[in-house]
Amino acid sequence: MFAGLILSEWIFFLTGSVFFRIRHFEPEVTAFLLSTLGLGAVAAESPSNALKQFLTLLAGEVIFFIAIGFLRNIEHVKPMRWVAAFGSVGLLGLTLVLAKAVNGALNWISFGGVSFQPSEFVKVAFIFVGAVTLERLQSTQSLTKYMFFAGACVGELFLMYDFGAALIFFFTFIIIAFMRSGDVRTLILICFGALLGGGMILYFRPYVADRFATYRHIWEFMNDGGYQQTRTLIYSSSGGLFGLGLGQGKLRYVFAAEEDLAFGVIFEEFGMIIAFAAPLVLAVLAVYAIRCAKCSRSSFHSIAAVASGGLLVFQACLNIFGVTDLLPMTGVTLPFVSRGGSSMICCWALLAMIKSADRRTYTEINPESGVRSE
Amino acid sequence: MKKVWRRTAVVYLLVAAFLAGLAVIAVQFFTNGRIWATQRANLHLFSGGTVIAAGAVYDRDGAVLAQTIDGERVFNNSARIRKSTLHVVGDPQGYISTGIHSTYRTELTGYSFVNGLYSVAAGGKGNDLHLTISAELCATAYDALGSSKGAVAVYNYKTGEILCSVSTPTYDVRNKPEDIDSDTTGKYDGIYLDRVCNGLYVPGSVFKIVTCASAIDNIPDIFSQTFTCTGKKVLETGTVICSDVHGSQSFEQAFANSCNCAFAEIALQLGEHTLSQSVSQLGLLSELKVGKTSAGKCSFNVSGATPAELAWAGVGQHTTMVTPMHMLVLAGAIANAGTSAKPYLVGSVTSGETNVSTGKTSYLDPVMTSQTALSLSGLMRNNVTSKYGDSSFKGLEMCGKTGTAEIENGAPHAWFVGFSQKEDCPLAIAVVIENGGLASENALPVAQKVMKAAYNTIK
Repeated sequence: MFAGLILSEWIFFLTGSVFFRIRHFEPEVTAFLLSTLGLGAVAAESPSNALKQFLTLLAGEVIFFIAIGFLRNIEHVKPMRWVAAFGSVGLLGLTLVLAKAVNGALNWISFGGVSFQPSEFVKVAFIFVGAVTLERLQSTQSLTKYMFFAGACVGELFLMYDFGAALIFFFTFIIIAFMRSGDVRTLILICFGALLGGGMILYFRPYVADRFATYRHIWEFMNDGGYQQTRTLIYSSSGGLFGLGLGQGKLRYVFAAEEDLAFGVIFEEFGMIIAFAAPLVLAVLAVYAIRCAKCSRSSFHSIAAVASGGLLVFQACLNIFGVTDLLPMTGVTLPFVSRGGSSMICCWALLAMIKSADRRTYTEINPESGVRSE
Repeated sequence: MKKVWRRTAVVYLLVAAFLAGLAVIAVQFFTNGRIWATQRANLHLFSGGTVIAAGAVYDRDGAVLAQTIDGERVFNNSARIRKSTLHVVGDPQGYISTGIHSTYRTELTGYSFVNGLYSVAAGGKGNDLHLTISAELCATAYDALGSSKGAVAVYNYKTGEILCSVSTPTYDVRNKPEDIDSDTTGKYDGIYLDRVCNGLYVPGSVFKIVTCASAIDNIPDIFSQTFTCTGKKVLETGTVICSDVHGSQSFEQAFANSCNCAFAEIALQLGEHTLSQSVSQLGLLSELKVGKTSAGKCSFNVSGATPAELAWAGVGQHTTMVTPMHMLVLAGAIANAGTSAKPYLVGSVTSGETNVSTGKTSYLDPVMTSQTALSLSGLMRNNVTSKYGDSSFKGLEMCGKTGTAEIENGAPHAWFVGFSQKEDCPLAIAVVIENGGLASENALPVAQKVMKAAYNTIK
């Protein structure tokens, strides 16, 4: 299977260079690095899970190219924003109705034997819609429309008790809104409103607060609410700088280890250096996105790239700082590394957004067509 | 466009926060890693809260006290040794929180920030600990204590090595009594407590060493005073009772007779302030660290005490409480011209053939002048020659003081605190037997047996 992985990487690069005439693969290489780490961690325990993960990785690569093609000419796909917007709200609504409760959050749906997490796909749509809407019309009206859309998505996620995803969406919204308007006052107002809303939820639904009761007290609740976090710290520190060896760890036997605690699993088995390399690579990816945004072909591409980079880093923050008790644990995945098909595909789609902002991606397009508007 | 790009500063801020957070975590792993990795929930090291993987623990002669064989923790083959070294070595479940298995678990696992638990998780071997105690000597002390509750400790006052540290009641880790937690008869009272370091006892007459030291320093004519004992000393606020009618006696004789009347008189001459100051100067109220644990906190409080209470405090009663370890170190200081070596238990830590660290001799703060120490040694030597019988400590040039500490309920605690002046036997000893009755009949014989065996151990 790892031969398959390497082969797929070569095919990926070949496809990229032949059909898309891409000559530079910096962000893809980082994504492959992270995906391989995650796949390795999964493979050490369960070959069948690893195969599944490998297939979703392939699917992610395919989605990546589709998205690159899709984003080539933004004028053609702009009308898609309504489809994406209503599709997103509708999909989340459907999830809310159909989903069975999985691990406390109602965020999964099963369809024909395949279960997936709609919120992951909506993330991509969310950035797409935001970037298109705001690119098109720099007006309060468009921002208001987008605010309604964002509010609907975040609200639905709240109803699913998927607070991690809700937070990610909210943060992404802030990035997009700020990128477009640059209006600090509006943002402060929004944040204030969100805080008020959050406060009201805690007031009227106190059990929500229970989920965060162990925050900063994980050792007092080390066998219930703080179980995952304490085990992450215990086993991570067991790994030292160089790790105990693939498959030699004990953290992987903790519930949802390869999804939520991927950072700890990597830390224990591959060591601290590699475990810290993963988030650093993500940070580099975000910086890359910003650099690309500086001279991308349109402000759509800029916003989409920066928002995608921001989302990936923010999600990594929630994940890594959540399991190490620097932030409350919200159970979000570590981009590219965590096990999970929906998450993997979403990450590759976001990568495509970043990539599309790189001027070098579309070499056949006359660079002059993407005139900078300053 | 340019504006848009400028606004990406938000994401730069996020990345900066992310990197800062990662730095915080990295620092936390660096500072707390050893605590986290050695948690009892770590299945690399523990199974059901029981140690499975750790290095071996040896005594000073290389006898195995504990080791891991095929994923199981195995202790010494002899039940005597298992029982007598229990409180030093500790148990695999960690009930004895002051045992080596708990306090030195980082060393035993071989944890390091760089390698994590690799050596123990991959090879099943951590670091080995070589203790300063002699298992055989501990077993001798354990036998000498018999079925009594109490503590015996011996250390080398010149190097600090603890040769013997035994606390009873004890149990066999291999066959832990099933009724240990449900028992109501009291036979297992405080069984997890290491009485050497953490047993707090009324000192009784062994505290006269302290009053004596204070008198030597603060009453210039103390050696020329005579004290008259009629069997009790009546004060307005109460009466101090003596064990006997000692009649007229010198300071030296009063100490040997352990005369309460004389020492009540001395305590009153000293006054609450001077006596308190001496107690503190002698280090009894200081924190005393042995390895990685601190001995219990002694108490002495005579502020606002009535004359009768002060008099009782001068003979080691009233509210005074001490640990055997504090008394042991005090004896060591007297023996070593006022400055005791710092007691330690772990002689060296090794990883395979390489030495990781070695226990070193260091010294505690001086607690008295060498002159005072010399005078006290003379007085304590006189106790042995004139009262306890020098022949019972044959050839050891023993100095000491017994104590029979009255307690509220039950028979008094029997104490012996002393040291050998012999050049090749720089050992001090503290013995306490709970409800042991008369010290001369109970604590003294234990001290004799243990000192004799201890001398043979280092000879």
